Amino acid sequence: MSFVKTRIHPAAEMHAQEHLDGQIDRREFLTRATALGVGAAAAYGLIGATAPGKAMAQEAQQGGTLRIQMELPALKDPRVADWSEIANQTRGWLEYLVEYQRDGSLRPMLLEGWEVNDDATVYTLKVRQGVTWNNGDAFTAQDVLHNITRWCDQEVEGNSMAGRLKTLVDPETKQLLDGAVKVMDDHTLEITLPRPDITLIASFADYPAAVVHQSYDNGDPAANPIGTGPYLPVEVSPNVRTVIERNADHEWWGTEVYGGPYLDRIEFTDYGTDPAAWLAAIESEEVDMLYESVGEFIEIMDSLGLEKSDAVTANTLVIRPNQVAEVNGMKPYADARVRRALAMACDNSVLLELGYAGLGEVAENHHVCPIHPEYAKIDAPVYDPEGAMALLEEAGMADYEHELICLDSGFQRDTSDAVAAQLRDAGINVKRTILPGSTFWNDWAKFPFSATEWNMRPLGVQVLALAYRSGEAWNESGFANEQFDSLLEEAMAIADAGQRSEIMAKIEKLMQDEGVIIQPYWRSIYRHYLAKVIGAEAHPTFEIHVYKLGLSA
Amino acid sequence: MAGFILRRFGIMILTALCLTFVVFFLTNLAPNLEKLAKTQGNARMTDAEVTSWLANRGYDQNIFVKYGEWLGVVPGYVIEQPDGTYRGRCFDQAEAIPDDAPRFCGVVQGDWGYSSVFRDEVLGIIGLRLGLTGKLMFWVMMVMVPSALILGVLAGMREGSRLDRGLSSISIVTTATPEYVSGVILITVFASSAVGLKWFKGTATSAMENATFENFFLPVITIALYGMGYIARMTRASMAEVMQQQYIRTAILKGVPFRQVVLKHALRNALIAPFTVIMLQFPWLLNGVVIVETLFNYKGFGWTLVQAASNNDIELLLGVSVVSVFVVLITQLISDIGYVYLNPRIRVS
Repeated sequence: MSFVKTRIHPAAEMHAQEHLDGQIDRREFLTRATALGVGAAAAYGLIGATAPGKAMAQEAQQGGTLRIQMELPALKDPRVADWSEIANQTRGWLEYLVEYQRDGSLRPMLLEGWEVNDDATVYTLKVRQGVTWNNGDAFTAQDVLHNITRWCDQEVEGNSMAGRLKTLVDPETKQLLDGAVKVMDDHTLEITLPRPDITLIASFADYPAAVVHQSYDNGDPAANPIGTGPYLPVEVSPNVRTVIERNADHEWWGTEVYGGPYLDRIEFTDYGTDPAAWLAAIESEEVDMLYESVGEFIEIMDSLGLEKSDAVTANTLVIRPNQVAEVNGMKPYADARVRRALAMACDNSVLLELGYAGLGEVAENHHVCPIHPEYAKIDAPVYDPEGAMALLEEAGMADYEHELICLDSGFQRDTSDAVAAQLRDAGINVKRTILPGSTFWNDWAKFPFSATEWNMRPLGVQVLALAYRSGEAWNESGFANEQFDSLLEEAMAIADAGQRSEIMAKIEKLMQDEGVIIQPYWRSIYRHYLAKVIGAEAHPTFEIHVYKLGLSA
Repeated sequence: MAGFILRRFGIMILTALCLTFVVFFLTNLAPNLEKLAKTQGNARMTDAEVTSWLANRGYDQNIFVKYGEWLGVVPGYVIEQPDGTYRGRCFDQAEAIPDDAPRFCGVVQGDWGYSSVFRDEVLGIIGLRLGLTGKLMFWVMMVMVPSALILGVLAGMREGSRLDRGLSSISIVTTATPEYVSGVILITVFASSAVGLKWFKGTATSAMENATFENFFLPVITIALYGMGYIARMTRASMAEVMQQQYIRTAILKGVPFRQVVLKHALRNALIAPFTVIMLQFPWLLNGVVIVETLFNYKGFGWTLVQAASNNDIELLLGVSVVSVFVVLITQLISDIGYVYLNPRIRVS
């Protein structure tokens, strides 16, 4: 393949050895190696395996229509997109520089490859040759620069890319740092960072990072759908239906590189938020593929003889006290003893069983997942209800009534109920409040004590940076700890995941000691589809790569 | 008669004004505006971002000014954006204020506004969705009215007979079962693998384009069952009353066959009361479709109302309210006028 590197990052070779020695599993190895600029095929080569992928392509027939059940929020400027479903609708024509794969690897798309220097401060991006926009323009390094500039514009309300690419943003001007990105020639860019950042490439794969044309006006991306992808939108009715069709006038670069696209037409239909309606949809043969199967419906769908696919993810539910929230003039969760007591009163394995029917892995209250490359194994959190009560008494909060708020939706509600039950078993007073989505998301970051669903990021440091660094927009726990911030800063400068995990061990311990969150489990996600559908396997970040979808011949 | 109708229209407009102002006031409460900003901008915006988002789009004006703008009696806002462009109610966003932009753009000018959920003109959405609900309602009426009248007449013919008791029990059961109960039961029994009958489809999404017996029967029967029992009870009561009248007794004593007594002498008189009830069912149906359309994921008027309300889509909600007011009041107007024709003892003026 054309993107195979001439130079292989030394750390990647080291990781390959680690994998061969049985220290890390294949998924971890792939995430580590591909983030360092090694192509997936080369990465597989390093460990003496062959890349999967094309085998399935041979079975898919050319053409056909696929009907998918998915919620359809209105499209918006990709960089402010707040739901994976928005990106799944636009993915047919707006592509990404890099794509996160099911197996944890990062695959170059509009980039052909990248190289990182040893301390992750200089990135050299190679733009793929022969890519054209569907209006005929050639795709060049200028386009990449244009998009990075857009992503770094912190002035745009709700632009979450600016947070992801924080090292590239000038805090003074709130724009892309002057001179940080240099166009070397038509197909090469060099990014020089003021400080090391290992998350850059993974951020390019995140769903708001869709690459738009220079003429894009930040409005409805379907209004004038100039993109590099093989499909075009033909109908976009928010909350009702989105239809994309094969763009016959556009020669797509990916056909010869990765194969596909196979389908002529893909229809997304919105069946609301009730899983019973999704079941009815696939039972009545109105759709061929569901977006996600949840809770008790997984078993029911299995019994219908549908194909099931699951993905191990770092998706999770976090039940967190907000340390700065005020209730009746006091801050109940400012005291670490109170927070730690709440965590101590909960047995995470029970929460997994009751809240999510055991469909996942037990987590350890620090929001770093074993599938993250830098995960460090530390002691599991202590379960000690009596100790919890003692701690609360010491803090003078034994009689306080906690109000646990959650979203009115399947596992969030069930898990929060289980948390409340365990707290009550420990003698702690808890009141439950369940809010509908329209109300809940208004204040999600401000509730004193509530449960929030978090989707995964490929690297462990990424969520920590988004959700627990002082003053971050998404910091819902109100956690502001200098030691944590500086440790994280340090971790984010180490390209080598093995070395990084030494610091991660300290960070993880700190998270537990401070009682920042109760994090009961890592969710596995499931998806059901008809046996004839190909390429529809569940993806850890819910991405639907439309060019991979097909119907069996 | 003309004066009567004119007066009714006057009341209709007054009611619509009052109701829309109430809806407008509620949807413009601060938390609702915040919700709007977050669904439109980004669900995870900070408070400062929300404030500037709202201010840039004219949501921070006085409520009466905003209501006047919606009505079209106050000039639409024009606000300079932080990036130097202009945003106005009547011309969206532009580098400079366009020359041909109207000063007023509200309901009076025929501009019903823009739906923030569906990203389309309110008028177009309401037309489309009302059409779909119209289709549903038509079939509901086709099923409900004849079956209810037959049940009611049969039951009321001989009050207290076994037939009467049997039919009355059925109608009481159907009318006492709300749609959200009967709908779920019907789906479970007739559409799911749980029971295994699978005669019909448990969702009506495909019925929007291509309604078949299979995909449309369940939503229709769910609404129809509920209304049917009610109308049947009314018809029965009215029929029973008529059957006790002197002239019916006379006819029977004269030896007229019972069948003819019912069809020729009793029926027309007995149908006056049900007519009003049937007309009053229209507003009730609007109510029922909210539940049934959501349950069966049939994207009609009721479903639109739910979407608009849960996303605080101000202008769409206002449009929905106006339409609802007109549907309710026009059906009442028709029932009043129809009454005059059915019952010669009543005059309107």
